[in-house]
Amino acid sequence: MKTTVTLIAPPTAMQPGGYIATAYADRSQPGTSRADLEVQESTAGWTVALRWRAPQAVIDATDNPRQFIDGAALFAPTVKDAPWISMGTPDMPLEGVLWRADRAQPWRVSAQGLGSVQRAEAPAGWTTAARYANGTWQLTFTLPAFAALTVTRQLGFAVWQGAQSERAGLKSVTPGWINL
Amino acid sequence: MNRQLAMVLDLNKCLGCQTCTVACKKLWNQDQGTDYAYWNNVETAPGKGFPRLWQETGGRNADGSVKRGEIPSLDADYGRAWKFNHDKTFFKSNGPREWLKPESGTQWGPNWDEDHGAGAYPQENHYFYLPRLCNHCTHPACLDACPRGAIEKRSDNGIVLVNQDQCHGYRFCVEACPYKKVYFDPKRQVSTKCIFCLPRIEEGVAPACARQCPGRLRFVGFLDDPAGPIHKLVNEYKVAIPLHPEFGTGPNVYYVPPLSPEGIDDEGRPTGKPRIPPAYLESLFGPAVHDAMARLAAEREKTTRGEGSAVMDLLIAYDWSKNFALDDARTREVI
Repeated sequence: MKTTVTLIAPPTAMQPGGYIATAYADRSQPGTSRADLEVQESTAGWTVALRWRAPQAVIDATDNPRQFIDGAALFAPTVKDAPWISMGTPDMPLEGVLWRADRAQPWRVSAQGLGSVQRAEAPAGWTTAARYANGTWQLTFTLPAFAALTVTRQLGFAVWQGAQSERAGLKSVTPGWINL
Repeated sequence: MNRQLAMVLDLNKCLGCQTCTVACKKLWNQDQGTDYAYWNNVETAPGKGFPRLWQETGGRNADGSVKRGEIPSLDADYGRAWKFNHDKTFFKSNGPREWLKPESGTQWGPNWDEDHGAGAYPQENHYFYLPRLCNHCTHPACLDACPRGAIEKRSDNGIVLVNQDQCHGYRFCVEACPYKKVYFDPKRQVSTKCIFCLPRIEEGVAPACARQCPGRLRFVGFLDDPAGPIHKLVNEYKVAIPLHPEFGTGPNVYYVPPLSPEGIDDEGRPTGKPRIPPAYLESLFGPAVHDAMARLAAEREKTTRGEGSAVMDLLIAYDWSKNFALDDARTREVI
């Protein structure tokens, strides 16, 4: 499938702790308003391509505590229609893959609610190919085995623009699951 | 069991030698990524401090409410670790040698405005040294800001720690801390902060900054230990008060405020007013500073009259072993 998705900013009021909800109460617009999505399934597994505008790419922050790095993540629910904006639950976890612009390899990620994301080295064969040109990121995930997606056939994704200090729950996400 | 370790620092005794700073830095922050980080620093007050203007850029308003804080700039607020022209100064064989100087432009540093102070010279010029470290707050702003729950306040001693396996480097803690005492390590991509020398505490040894202080101005112990120095100075004698209590985080580092000599008028006669304006001290320590200073002055008077003062005896640290009460059978003297 191939589509363009209008993204939203998750409500900061739901963020864990008392600081973010108050300090970022005025953040209602996503840093990335829309992204192109292309998903292909084959006998070799899944290929998911994302494309979004990023006026400034941030691929390194090793020398600047103020700098945040561009990133993107795909998630699929392990149980169909698990909560997406609140990142799953212990009974309905999410599984996914996280790309960050400063890393050659993606992380495998899982979540059981807000603030619960666990990162781990990706399985062999999980790769990303990222290219930044003309103010646009083009990112392709190659995922030979993505069990949650294969089972539920639902996908959500998030994009972080480092230049806008996006990180954690300050991100642009699909409004809900995309049914494949 | 909820207990709170705390520290008292007597600002009347700090001579700005930075031994505490070096002791801490050498022990905990020598890796790349931590070169700009000073879990302990000593700044001159009045001054802009370290990081620059930290009192204005944290995540709390003057009424204790939350505001969006700022992450300090490495160059303009923390100051990049200086690299010097050692080769051109000491090892150049041909041509004129250079004077020793930083190789790159410098904008700020951990001790940038040392001894600048304030007030017209010689009538009312003044400054004092303000050693700072994490306050291991009762209500830590850093903990409140972490969406991952990576920051923990231990129940057995109240020390606030960053779980670096859980930290994903989002830096909300750096923003939120009104004392700007959480640092981001850009090499390892995690936040770091003072751990109150927990491994030393667990061995019954005081934190390095306190143990190494030549002025013996630091006291360490549990707030609820009536026999210890902290309870005495904070709760019994009431001469030690927290920095910026209005931020509302419940800091557990306390300061004995600095008394100061009188200013002079244009004729050189004493004015009867302390050189360090009480209003300035109130801006740092809140209105409780006035009572604390009055008690301190009264105890000094008692000593002057030869009556003796348990408060002054403790603060003078005649018996250094009384500076530390870690409530541990293994408490011992170790460098």
